Amino acid sequence: MKRLALVLVALAAVSAVPAAAQDQRPGGVFKAAMIGEPPSLDLHWTTATITQQITWHVYETLYTFDRNFNPMPLLAEGQTVADGGRRYTIRLRHGVKFHNGKEMTSADVVASLTRWGRISTSGKPLWKNVEAVEAKDPYTVMIHLKESSGVLLVGLARPNNGAVIYPREIAEAAGDNQTKDVIGTGPYRFVEHKPDRHIKLARFKDYAGRSEAPDGYAGKRTALLDEILFIPVPDVAVRIAGVETGEYHFAQQIKQDQYDRIKALPGVVPSIIKPSGWSTAVFNHKQGLMTDKRLRLAFQAALDMEPIMAAGFGNRDFYRLDPGLLYQEQTAWYTKAGGELYNQKNRAKAAALLKEAGYAGQPVRWVTTKEYEWMYKNALVAKQQLEEAGFKIDLQVVDWATLVQRRNKPELFDVFSTGFGFVSDPAFMTSAQCNWPGWWCHEEKDRLIDGLIKESDPKKRRAMFERIQVLFYEDAGRIKFGDSFTLDILRKEVRGFKTTPETFFWNVSLSK
Amino acid sequence: MKTYLARRLLALVPVALVVATVGFTLIHLAPGDPASLIAGPDATHDDIRVLQHQLGLDAPLHVQLLHWYGRLLRGDLGESIFLRKPVLDAILDRVEPTLLLTLFAMAIAILIGVPTGVVSARYHNAPADQALMSLALVGISVPNFLLGLLLILGFAVGLGWFPVAGYSPLEYGWARTLRSLVLPAFALGFVQSALIARITRSSMLDVLREQFIVAGRAKGLGERAVVYKHALKNALIPTMTVVGVSFAILIGGAVVIEQVFNIPGLGRLIISAVLRRDYPVIQGVVLCIAGVYMLINLAVDLAYMLVDPRVRYQ
Repeated sequence: MKRLALVLVALAAVSAVPAAAQDQRPGGVFKAAMIGEPPSLDLHWTTATITQQITWHVYETLYTFDRNFNPMPLLAEGQTVADGGRRYTIRLRHGVKFHNGKEMTSADVVASLTRWGRISTSGKPLWKNVEAVEAKDPYTVMIHLKESSGVLLVGLARPNNGAVIYPREIAEAAGDNQTKDVIGTGPYRFVEHKPDRHIKLARFKDYAGRSEAPDGYAGKRTALLDEILFIPVPDVAVRIAGVETGEYHFAQQIKQDQYDRIKALPGVVPSIIKPSGWSTAVFNHKQGLMTDKRLRLAFQAALDMEPIMAAGFGNRDFYRLDPGLLYQEQTAWYTKAGGELYNQKNRAKAAALLKEAGYAGQPVRWVTTKEYEWMYKNALVAKQQLEEAGFKIDLQVVDWATLVQRRNKPELFDVFSTGFGFVSDPAFMTSAQCNWPGWWCHEEKDRLIDGLIKESDPKKRRAMFERIQVLFYEDAGRIKFGDSFTLDILRKEVRGFKTTPETFFWNVSLSK
Repeated sequence: MKTYLARRLLALVPVALVVATVGFTLIHLAPGDPASLIAGPDATHDDIRVLQHQLGLDAPLHVQLLHWYGRLLRGDLGESIFLRKPVLDAILDRVEPTLLLTLFAMAIAILIGVPTGVVSARYHNAPADQALMSLALVGISVPNFLLGLLLILGFAVGLGWFPVAGYSPLEYGWARTLRSLVLPAFALGFVQSALIARITRSSMLDVLREQFIVAGRAKGLGERAVVYKHALKNALIPTMTVVGVSFAILIGGAVVIEQVFNIPGLGRLIISAVLRRDYPVIQGVVLCIAGVYMLINLAVDLAYMLVDPRVRYQ
């Protein structure tokens, strides 16, 4: 009886403490082992993922995504749409401070959005449709569009190369060059960048967070950690060892074949980012052999994706064979349309197509890299399968810097390896863009992409996307090998971490 | 002596010029360009071209080279594309860890290598000699990055005595700096110690067969005096040459070890610069390292005089 009373007292004591406080205490320095250095800290300037992963703790966008990838207001309060979807009036939150102490107003938003629309890879296509951006009053911004748009808010919410808001002076002083100061409105402020040593962020005491419960990237963001150190650790074995000994709290991009070992390590928790991207071979549609559709279709027909993906990603927990250009997890978009042409394993069909095209064994130049080992391994297995079907593949293994240069020169390649990261909306798929290396331009497909940008009816947009996916396979626009998942690892004392396609450390704390 | 020194220093200039030109040409001939990397994976060709223009990379190669020479004459190594600061500052920021690591490794190499060589020679063909030389063979054969990873596994992950990786700058206290450098310095120095041991041993063996050693023994000098006072001092010239060369090799080895142990030194600087095609940094670091090599060679030549009074420079 006495024991029961004790238990009851203990239970009462525990339940009196709110759940969050029980688990999450503020304080501590969080060390994240990253794969390298960001090429720039100006998010308008680069599409490099690592820049976004670090700086989105510092900079914020007007909108962001909830867990279902719907755009939700972040720095914005809300919006009204008028004039048949051509005029957006965006109300800004009051009392949001930059890290330099200044309050954010519409002048900062106008300057930042104008710069983003002018120079960023992700902003430029969207901004073609923008007639004007103006500050109506200090807390209201108006965006006038040439035609109605279904993706304006989604575009403003995208994290990568995102439409983050800088103080007006910084955006204007930088112009088309890189910004000099790292100042935003985010929960963490930038302290210092010591190249090859660390990037240090510290809690921003005057952060004005939202009040809604956290949902995906949206809702309340709290800086529970005193500091975050992003440490470049290029060697994957050292990243693992560092988390094992507790020197780092987080390490990204662990080799998937290490998964079984990681699971057995005490104090280390694996985090599988699912989905994170898909691996691909990109054809040169502008010049050379692969401009012949029959050769592309033969290439597509010959491939058996299971061994290709197994070689690249090792463990079955880290890849999935799937024809979808967007992922199963994105229920609003996922479709198998056109999928009968994916993973055909049909060498006879490939051989027949090659014959029809009059292919006489000219070498297909495939540029790949070992810097991303999976790209090389995907290509190596695919090469063998293609050669069995009658292709002759000249696999050119170069470093990443060379690959990204060569892929811009149509005379230098027929195929190159790469991966496409997670995108929230098909209007922004790099995989279907016409003016991106490989130059898969196709009249109907490009008209549909254009339609996706303008149309706002979800049903019509989905139908357009399905048709794009069918064309992707019918025209063999590019080759999708399969979905891949990334392995990150954490210390067990990390609390509040959410596994999402984009890693973030707000609302994360350390126990002890 | 002074004229000799002046002549040697003057001779550095044409060598530096050749290194600068060859370095510049090679790195610019290599495919890849920094603009594509800054712009990121999703950038279009037009975005990249705009960036190339902003960075001045669309100018013809000889124009870029002349431009760089002009800056060099003014003592300006240029500005890093990625770090957005002068190359000289970037290099000076990285000198401390690399210098300390190399010196520490050198000390380990000498402290292990020279006594091992002497003991081996002293007990020529005895079990001690054979054991030590087998160990030296292993030392020479193991690549330093592998040794580094094994040391991390044993002493950092297993025993927890040292940090897994990283560097603690001197400003946070020398004890922490030293602790952060023990494993990398050992990984780097051990391989060199094997080389030094073998050279010291063979040079000692040669000297021990000389007549003045026999004479020393004949006049009743103790074995210690014979080995350590007379033989060792005479055997040190080849060892010193190797130490000088080793120093240069260690700087090269530091490039790998800094990568494994995550030490923000010159090695990391040049590796990341090469991977990102940060041309000004690569050119600057290559020039500096070449300069250091040349100065070390000069220092070694001068040091011969200290051990061997027969050596004189005019």
